[in-house]
Amino acid sequence: MKANKLFVALTALVLMACNKQPEVIVPQKADFKGTVTVEYKGEPYDNENIEVKFTPSEDGKTASLTIYKIRFVPQMPVTIDVTIPNIELTATTTEITLKCDEVIPLAMGGEYPRYKVTNLKGVIDHGTLDFSLNFGDFPTSFTGRQLLK
Amino acid sequence: MLTVLLSIFVALTPPIDTLPPAYAKAFKETLPLEKVASPVSYLLPAELKTEGVVGQGRLSALVPSLLIPEYGASLTSTIYLRGIGSRMENPSMGLYVDGIPIMDKNAYDFDWTGIRFAALMRGPQATLYGRNSMSGTLVLQSASPDGTTHVNAYAEAGLAKTVRTGATVSFGQHVLTAGFKYNAGWNRNEYKGTLCDPYQGLSLRWKWEQVPSGKIRWSNSLFATLSKEGGFAYGLYENGTLHPVSYNGEGSYRRISVIDGVGFHYTGDSFTLDGTGSLQLLSDDMRMDQDYTPENIFTLRQAQNSATGTAEVILRSQKEHWQPSTGVFTFYRFNRMDAPVTFGRTGIENLILDNANRNIPEDIGYLSIPDDEILIDSDFGIHTFGAALFHESVFTLGRWRLTAGLRLDYEGGVMAYDCLANLHYRFFPTMKADKPLAVPYRGTVTHSSGLQVLPKLSALFEASKVVSFYGNVSKGYRAGGFNTQIFSDILQSQTMMALMSDLGVYLDNLPASVGAGHTRYKPESAWNFEAGVRLVKDHFRAEATFYYMDVRNQQLTVFPPGKSTGRMMTNAGASRSLGAEAELDWRPGEFHFHASYAWCDARFVAYNDGNHDYSGNRIPYVPAHTAFASAAWRHSFNAISLNLSASVRAYGPLSWDETGLLQEPVHIRPEARIALSFKKWEIWLRGENLTGRTGRNFYFKSVGREFFSLERPRNIILGISINI
Repeated sequence: MKANKLFVALTALVLMACNKQPEVIVPQKADFKGTVTVEYKGEPYDNENIEVKFTPSEDGKTASLTIYKIRFVPQMPVTIDVTIPNIELTATTTEITLKCDEVIPLAMGGEYPRYKVTNLKGVIDHGTLDFSLNFGDFPTSFTGRQLLK
Repeated sequence: MLTVLLSIFVALTPPIDTLPPAYAKAFKETLPLEKVASPVSYLLPAELKTEGVVGQGRLSALVPSLLIPEYGASLTSTIYLRGIGSRMENPSMGLYVDGIPIMDKNAYDFDWTGIRFAALMRGPQATLYGRNSMSGTLVLQSASPDGTTHVNAYAEAGLAKTVRTGATVSFGQHVLTAGFKYNAGWNRNEYKGTLCDPYQGLSLRWKWEQVPSGKIRWSNSLFATLSKEGGFAYGLYENGTLHPVSYNGEGSYRRISVIDGVGFHYTGDSFTLDGTGSLQLLSDDMRMDQDYTPENIFTLRQAQNSATGTAEVILRSQKEHWQPSTGVFTFYRFNRMDAPVTFGRTGIENLILDNANRNIPEDIGYLSIPDDEILIDSDFGIHTFGAALFHESVFTLGRWRLTAGLRLDYEGGVMAYDCLANLHYRFFPTMKADKPLAVPYRGTVTHSSGLQVLPKLSALFEASKVVSFYGNVSKGYRAGGFNTQIFSDILQSQTMMALMSDLGVYLDNLPASVGAGHTRYKPESAWNFEAGVRLVKDHFRAEATFYYMDVRNQQLTVFPPGKSTGRMMTNAGASRSLGAEAELDWRPGEFHFHASYAWCDARFVAYNDGNHDYSGNRIPYVPAHTAFASAAWRHSFNAISLNLSASVRAYGPLSWDETGLLQEPVHIRPEARIALSFKKWEIWLRGENLTGRTGRNFYFKSVGREFFSLERPRNIILGISINI
């Protein structure tokens, strides 16, 4: 009797294991560090060692990206922090894709329409973040790796 | 010069005039002043009265190499002696009153009602007198009880509604003194239409001495001052023109100072033991329009509440050929300072917003601060402590008196700072509303002087009963400390960085700034090499000295570059002072002649502030020459005496800054006095600065602007005194 019960339990366990599906990635807060490249007058202008904070909403459907100390053109005497809100997220079992057709970024304490964000596309995949967008007239891209805490 | 002086003696035969024993005990030296191998200038009661020495400033030029310009307010006490001095923080000259070391420079300047004797020993006196006695030590002694009952009272009035009055009552073992001083002010603030530097002050002194046996003497000296004054009569200097004083903020200083010292003296069979202890309390409140203009830029309040305790024990032995003194000294001081700086609307725009927006491209936006005022509050708790062990031995070998001394001195400090700036800001065009911002800045810094080794070697040779030659090598030091006045600059910088960080904007070229770690400054030290000759015969006394002082880590007040609002002490590198001093006092019959002269060449040996090399330039504020000459005649008929005296004091030229480009010519101030003395009464008329010329006596920069203050104008004073 005892042997029968043990067999049934093991069989159920094996069946459960065989039925497990890959889980969809749940977006989590993360910091990345990499290079922002701004296309200025047709030439790439690199901002190296730039930190980007990825902050998803509670429901995981949207997120914001904050780019720290970015310089859009070499002549800028200051660097600024820019936050891109309301980015749509799509999570799969292997990656999170980012998408935003148009949004006004936040900088210097409020909305900053001069550098309106359009055509943002990106992906978080295995600890890397890549995205591209237009900051106003400046095509911009970022490639960086997640900072381990 | 020596030949001339010696020839004078031939005609002199009056009785010996030595320092009264009551004043001799004011010193720590085992030798009488005539045998000390350092130059000493001293004033007895009659001279203090004749020369109108009612405070430390009146010693300028009267004592060779000394300049104490009277400007600012009572806390200022800028003292230059032998090319050494500074405008703020620790003084380079020690001050002892009734054997008590005055530890706070803010208490140095007080009315001398009740002071009966003043002596200034020049050159480092650190072995016996300790910290800050680097260029010299001023020793004051008040009236002591003599067992009799008598009253001395005086009153005098002069121009600018100057009134001084006081009384000293001596009875039994007690002496009580009270003094009051008032003046309506000398300088008009054109903006307010009022005199900006009135003064009223009260001083009280109680001295008690008891000699229960021939071996023991106890004493207590309590001294309190209360004063309320205006001040800071600084005029803007632009394109070679000095404008009248004109500022819109408050300029005032209030002070309560209470100092109590206890003394104990025991005479044993072969030794003496002296102990002193003191408690020194000071509470003051300074308010200053720190831009000194009618513009609403920024104001400073600096309120201090400090308590200091000192203790010293000295064991002396009196042997025929060897007189050793060994002592220990310790002190502790706590100072609670509140120093808020308030930026007005113009200051916010000129000093904060202009600096910030200059670095922000117009096409990005601009910063706005809507506040009418920004308060940058700074509280400091400063603990300072020190201890010293010292020994000095005097060997008498025939005509030689050799002195060897050593002091080991340690001093340290801890400063806790708690600063907070509160403001609102808005960045256009991105922000839709003002945002509050609080910027705290808190922490602790420490400083240590390390172990200061302060040696002294001196020799005095009595060539005859009249002439002595002496030489000495000694080292003195001035304590280090903390720059509190630079915190307004630090906070401005911190606030700007915090604001920009809150905004998410980062300037590429941050304005240069110092942090709290940079607010400590090191002790200054000086080696002194000097040789002198002293002639004392009857009523003639003359002295000539040549010295060389090698100063390391010289403390100088500097202003950070640009439109900075603070000032700070820095250790400027090295300097040297080369000089000669001469003093003569002669009292033939009814005459009294006194003269003093000093030449001082004080220059930087190495001083580079990062932008300029000032090596070789004259040290600012130090006069190249000081001179004083007086002649007095006293003629008695029946019970009445007529006293006439005239004097002139001069100092200069001097440089106002490190560049040496801005110079001040020689100032000459003639004075005269006429007095009629009766048995118990005296009336007098004294004139000060008789030419009425008001030379410049202080220069500084604030927010990139230049300012001067002026000497006091002519004053005619009528006085009366009574002795009962």
